[in-house]
Amino acid sequence: MSLLGDPVAWVSELTRPEAWVLASSVAFATALVGALAVGALGPTYFLFLVGLAGMYALLSFGLNAQWGFTGLINFSVAAFFGVGAYGAALMTADASPIAGGFSPLVGLAVGLLVALVLALLIGIPTLRLRADYLAIASLGLAEVVRLVVLNERWLTNGSAGLRGIPSFFAGWPVLSSFPETMPGLRITVVPGAPVVLETPFWEAALNVVVIVAFTLGTYAVLRRVHQSPWGRVLRTIRSDEDLARALGKHTYAFKMQSFVLGSLIMALAGVFYTHLNLYVGPGDLDPITTFYVWVAVILGGSGSNRGALFGGIVVVTIREGTRFLNDFAIPVDPAPLRLLLIGVLILVVMRYRPQGILPPQRELIWPAARRSTEPATPPETGTRTRRAPEPTADADERGVDGAAGVSDDGTTDRTRGERNE
Amino acid sequence: MSETADPDAVLRVEDLQKSFGGLVATDHASFTVERGTITGLIGPNGAGKSTIFNLISGFYEPDGGTVAVNGTDVTGMEPHEIADYGLIRTFQTPRKLDGMTVREAMLVGPREQPGESFRALFTRPGAVTARESENLERAAQMLEAFEIDHLAAQPATDISGGQMKLVELARAMLAEPDVLLLDEPVAGVNPTLAKKLTEQIRRLNDAGTTFLLIEHDMEFVMELADPIVVLDQGRVLTEDTPEGVMNDDRVVDAYLGGGA
Repeated sequence: MSLLGDPVAWVSELTRPEAWVLASSVAFATALVGALAVGALGPTYFLFLVGLAGMYALLSFGLNAQWGFTGLINFSVAAFFGVGAYGAALMTADASPIAGGFSPLVGLAVGLLVALVLALLIGIPTLRLRADYLAIASLGLAEVVRLVVLNERWLTNGSAGLRGIPSFFAGWPVLSSFPETMPGLRITVVPGAPVVLETPFWEAALNVVVIVAFTLGTYAVLRRVHQSPWGRVLRTIRSDEDLARALGKHTYAFKMQSFVLGSLIMALAGVFYTHLNLYVGPGDLDPITTFYVWVAVILGGSGSNRGALFGGIVVVTIREGTRFLNDFAIPVDPAPLRLLLIGVLILVVMRYRPQGILPPQRELIWPAARRSTEPATPPETGTRTRRAPEPTADADERGVDGAAGVSDDGTTDRTRGERNE
Repeated sequence: MSETADPDAVLRVEDLQKSFGGLVATDHASFTVERGTITGLIGPNGAGKSTIFNLISGFYEPDGGTVAVNGTDVTGMEPHEIADYGLIRTFQTPRKLDGMTVREAMLVGPREQPGESFRALFTRPGAVTARESENLERAAQMLEAFEIDHLAAQPATDISGGQMKLVELARAMLAEPDVLLLDEPVAGVNPTLAKKLTEQIRRLNDAGTTFLLIEHDMEFVMELADPIVVLDQGRVLTEDTPEGVMNDDRVVDAYLGGGA
């Protein structure tokens, strides 16, 4: 059922959590557009926030590919993010102590490569062991990477960080000079409060193009692999690794692939951050990032790509939204309040919806194969029969198929029910 | 008990040893599983039945001795490698697959799926689709043969313990094993379902699958398995027909704890 082909049917087939997330997203987007229109939210800052939200979505995708798919506990999200950011910055920045001045595409490649090496270094010794070993090792790794960045001044500039980073499109035809050549625009929605769009706005707009491309590309890849037999083996490992081994799956190889994939996505977020912020420092490797990303994945619903996207956006909203709490006559510093709010939120979710807001909603079977084996849907008769509810992890949404139903031929139904005990 | 090289032995265990600290769990155990049989493995609690299963399937590494599947020495190999030689096992407690439907849980069974290669998902999507379609069909047929096709769309964690055992057996069959090791297939299963499981195992055996099964339910084993290997304190006490085992004083002693 496509959204464009038959929007009514598309909406009616949404599960309850999907409808809830869709409705709140639409409401939130409307509020943002309203704030933009009345000038309460600067358009350039808004685009920066979109970039930040996309970055958190990428980080959440990465962790979801490890924890959500396979059950790998990685506490070094910030480290993989950091090596992506530093890899890109060291290659491209004018002030880079080692190379510098390369194209951002070289920076992208180097950032991903360093993350790959790091993932293999930590994965090879720990992924053959029980799940907790990776958790402990990754906790240490995050700190090692942060301290190396802080102290190896010849390599990273130490606590001074790296400046002079070009935008992602530096050296590209047209796009590299696009923000300067675009004329300033003056838009007046509310009389007396004109919105001015100048070079910084167009720079931010280009960043949004980059992050949207990264996010959509990553989502497309993850969606495909999640619905594949490969993803199914990962989900089997998450539930019961011994079962996967007994069925002939080389679980170490699958765990390694899942771990590397997730780490590369986190590094991709780091590369983007370098060109968004135009400065990287050791503070960007603080462990708080790791925990924000964990909150995003758990909140969104472990194992769900859309959940990770949703969770990432929620976390950025809380992180940035609390900056404005002072405007609404709250006489306390919002910084500690922010952490408190996130803590309360995660407690509430765990108490009332432990599987997260938007856990996987449907059977995950390779779509092309499902289409070819299932009978074609009968032509629309006008009286659309409601499909049986899709199985979800939601207990109260489960069918009552277990009970012996009373049907036209009660006898057969009853014997069937007994046989199924 | 034949110890010679035997082309009809689908599984041969020779002089297998394993101890945990000071406890000898498997004590120079040797037996063969002939192709086409349903071989039972019985013994009192703590006799080392599950340890032997773990040693055979590669979950434990033996301290000594050899395991051969289809004539190939698989001692010390990883479980997934042993599966490649045609040996698949199930577990005593049914393993739950969270968030999967019964049909999805079934699709984990088939081996060597092209779609299990990350690269093939992007370079050979056609091959992935073809095999996945084939596997979906095989899974549907298998569920039908096990008379649990009505469960296909149910969450795999939402069915009864007995149904889980059926699903587990059906899934293991999708891996097309030469020899299937079943760890207590009817433990905790009601008599009706147990009877059904018995029928299924017999049907699959007629179709060519060899079985080695651990079971506490004597009635079930005696009815289904022939020959029966009796373990006691990690040693093979005897290997005989059900009648022979039942009339063996040593077996009775082992079960009554009078082995000394």
